[in-house]
Amino acid sequence: MYGLEAISAQNGWAMAIAGALIVMAGLMVLSLVISQLHKVAAFLEKRVEKRSENKQALKTAPKEAGVPKPPAFDIDEAQARLKPLAAELGEPFELTSLYELANRGELPHVHLSIRSLRESKVIVPAEDGRFVWRD
Amino acid sequence: MDLLIQFLSNTGYYLMDFRNVIMLLVGSLFLYLAIAKEYEPLLLLPIGFGVLVGNIPFFKGFGLGIYESNSVLHYLYFGVTTGVYPSIVFLGLGAMTDFTSLLAMPRLMLLGAAAQMGIYFTLISALALGFLPKEAASIAIIGGADGPTSIFLTAKLAPHLIGPIAIAAYSYMALIPIIQPPIMRLLTTQKERRIQMPDMRDVSRTEKLLFPAAGLILCCFLAPASIPLLGPFFFGNLMKESGVVDRLAQTARTAIIDTATIFLGFTVGASTQADVFLTPKSVGIFFLGAIAFSIATASGVLFGKIMNLFMKQKINPLLGAAGVSAVPGSAREVHQVGLKSDPSNYLLMHAMACNSSGVIGSAICAGILWSFLV
Repeated sequence: MYGLEAISAQNGWAMAIAGALIVMAGLMVLSLVISQLHKVAAFLEKRVEKRSENKQALKTAPKEAGVPKPPAFDIDEAQARLKPLAAELGEPFELTSLYELANRGELPHVHLSIRSLRESKVIVPAEDGRFVWRD
Repeated sequence: MDLLIQFLSNTGYYLMDFRNVIMLLVGSLFLYLAIAKEYEPLLLLPIGFGVLVGNIPFFKGFGLGIYESNSVLHYLYFGVTTGVYPSIVFLGLGAMTDFTSLLAMPRLMLLGAAAQMGIYFTLISALALGFLPKEAASIAIIGGADGPTSIFLTAKLAPHLIGPIAIAAYSYMALIPIIQPPIMRLLTTQKERRIQMPDMRDVSRTEKLLFPAAGLILCCFLAPASIPLLGPFFFGNLMKESGVVDRLAQTARTAIIDTATIFLGFTVGASTQADVFLTPKSVGIFFLGAIAFSIATASGVLFGKIMNLFMKQKINPLLGAAGVSAVPGSAREVHQVGLKSDPSNYLLMHAMACNSSGVIGSAICAGILWSFLV
């Protein structure tokens, strides 16, 4: 079989037209997508830039308006607050009892206060693992 | 004496006939074109030498010939018949292709699509000449001007025609400087050839990274049968653009593609044995191959002219000829023809955009034809 008859018998016209339309449509869609890629790229680049700016801002300036500042620690103030509690417990006292009492009274920086007072030898060890107050 | 006679009767001199001589001359011609004229030497030299090797007469049954299952050449030919070599070549092509110009001016992709019409016109012509549908599709893909794609599709649909189709495809690719310029000049006016293309915008790295993923998904969802070609192609491109696997990209576009090209060309050449190649079908294939290339060039140029009817910013219709995916030969020819009309008109970058879209288009066409005929 030859000629137009052969083409029709083998579905040639349909294959040719369908194939041509499919490849044209496919590459048209691809070119359309590519033409918008620069917008997607710009959006992604902006997001990455913003994220890195935020990270940088957090590193250099952690104290910003609206972020609560941690309260300053003053050892003299801590001494003044904890002394009455130590007196209440009586000497020698256990550090854990002083710690619990201070927490119950909602004093700030309890752990830091007791540690600082120990390091500055205001609270010194006595016997049996208990401590006494030295001014 | 008997031993000597037996030996002499197994030599190539004794077994030779005129068809071997013709094929040896064909192989020698390819070597001459590759070495002396430098016509596509990367392809024609391995093919030409393969033709010489494949057409040395030998006694069948000793596991020597490429079609004998236990021969070395047969094992190497495995990569052709299974489509492995074309996939590997596409990996390397992707790793060396720069899509910047295509991303900067996406409408040039349509010229690559238009140039694929040569495939469908040739399909109809091959059916009209009496070829079977699978044979016709394998011949038609020559119009895509892409050697690996032609070999890939032919290996799937009509493996008995790999030899003549591959030889036809690569021969016409080498003859692009002769085929395309007259068609370009015939279909365009001097004024149209002088149209200058605008400068390309800058393309960001992010766009170049997004393109392989977008291209893979859009093209392979449309024609899944093109996955073996376009998958490695876009993978290679992503390796290149990511910048984090430079060693792999470098290997893909050098050692890997070169190895595949050597074995592909050599074994395809060796497969063109006289009894397979010197047939009336081969004459028909060569005739249709010339039509395929010519129609592909013409349809690309004409589509460029049609686009200019609707676009404010005119495009140079010569770029349509670069939609024929013979990279970079057709882009180079478009640039040369443009320079002859206007020495200040540099079309190469824009032509490369059409060239790369032609590669994608021909792979999609191969997938479409395979899915029609599977």
